[in-house]
Amino acid sequence: MTSRQPRSPAEWASLIGSAAIVFFVVALIVVQIPGEDRPAAPTARVEDVRRVGEAFHVEVAVRNRGDRTAAQVQVTADLTVGEETSTAEQTVDFLSGGEEQQVIFVFDEDPSSGELRVSVTGFAVP
Amino acid sequence: MSSVALPAAAVPARDTGGPSPGRRRQGQSWSEEGRDLVRAASGGLLFGVPLLYTMEVWWLGSHTSPGRMLVVLAALFGILLVLNATAGFRRSRDVTLVEAVEDSVKGIAVGVVMTAFVLVVLRQVTLETPLTNAIGSVVNESIPFCLGVGVARLLLEGDPGMAEDEGGADGRGGGHGAEDGSDGSDGANASTGQSDEASLRTNAADIGGTALGAIVIGLSIAPTDEVPMLASAMAPSWQVVVVVASLVISYTVVFIAGFSGQDRRRQHQGLFQRPVTETLVTYLVALVVAAALLWTFQRDLTPADDLLTRVIVLGLPAAVGGAVGRLAL
Repeated sequence: MTSRQPRSPAEWASLIGSAAIVFFVVALIVVQIPGEDRPAAPTARVEDVRRVGEAFHVEVAVRNRGDRTAAQVQVTADLTVGEETSTAEQTVDFLSGGEEQQVIFVFDEDPSSGELRVSVTGFAVP
Repeated sequence: MSSVALPAAAVPARDTGGPSPGRRRQGQSWSEEGRDLVRAASGGLLFGVPLLYTMEVWWLGSHTSPGRMLVVLAALFGILLVLNATAGFRRSRDVTLVEAVEDSVKGIAVGVVMTAFVLVVLRQVTLETPLTNAIGSVVNESIPFCLGVGVARLLLEGDPGMAEDEGGADGRGGGHGAEDGSDGSDGANASTGQSDEASLRTNAADIGGTALGAIVIGLSIAPTDEVPMLASAMAPSWQVVVVVASLVISYTVVFIAGFSGQDRRRQHQGLFQRPVTETLVTYLVALVVAAALLWTFQRDLTPADDLLTRVIVLGLPAAVGGAVGRLAL
């Protein structure tokens, strides 16, 4: 058995502060447990279209509306102008629950002169 | 409060500053407690920085389940408990189980906070990062940080008696010149000459130590894709944040954390041996090493205007390595 001097105010302060930090982190982890069962549900929508030089940049927001993470999210954009359809693809490596990421598609034609469709065509479950 | 004494097996007998050798000091002042926590943070940085430049671990945070995170934290607590009983971040070891438990809680808190700090500096945790992702990244990245906290004392703790001997032997100690001066009639001139020589040698040792440490840490990071990836997403204003963080970390590790070489370093004489000047000069050395490593691994080719950003990004771990190198020499 070892005798022990009382803790100093500094030791009390660091102990209480540290315990509060650890408790806060554990609490943040624990509150995620009930909501982790909704499957991943990535969706895509056009955010903005702008002309950059001779090209047209289409900014698309890819958002996971589920709770589970989606990996290798394939996003496809089809631009139909007249009879001709241009297709572009992008891949988002990881999209955690509720996360949103931006991807940019580049077309030679003005999307406003035709029909533009963006969609998520598939993803992997990590 | 009753306390359970821990077994003393495998406990280093040395103590570099505690009032009773081999025993954990109680009733610490604010400055002592603060310095112990800074030492813990420094140990975590030395151990954890390389993993912070690993993109797979950033991504792992997005799909780490809460249950797995809790298991990781529990395992870290257990490991820290053992480390605090044998090594730890205090200048003297924990004697009782209660002390080891308290220091393990503090160790995890320091590890988590430092990990979050560096991830914020590297823009891997931002206000836009989902909470799940951020917590997952911090918990996974904090593993080496917490282990570094647990071995902070042993990481750079030399034999204090040997350190003093070295300080006297190589002419770095403040009292050595005075001793020389009292030995002969032309002692003043001899002392000045020896002091200049010692100063030159000390400056060269600092630059060499910084370069060596920066190379050791930076070598494993420079060839990877993480450096250009981080640099490409970093605004000029944020580069200033990385520079300031690198300088603060370098200064803290060498001059505040209380590792074995600190007192000796404060007594160094030379052109840039003041703590702030030395930190600035050695940071420049770390940047030069970072640039050289990027050139070596052909990471500096395109785009050229992004080169400075990449040097600054790699300069952070290089500065940490440089600090270790200076303390080790």
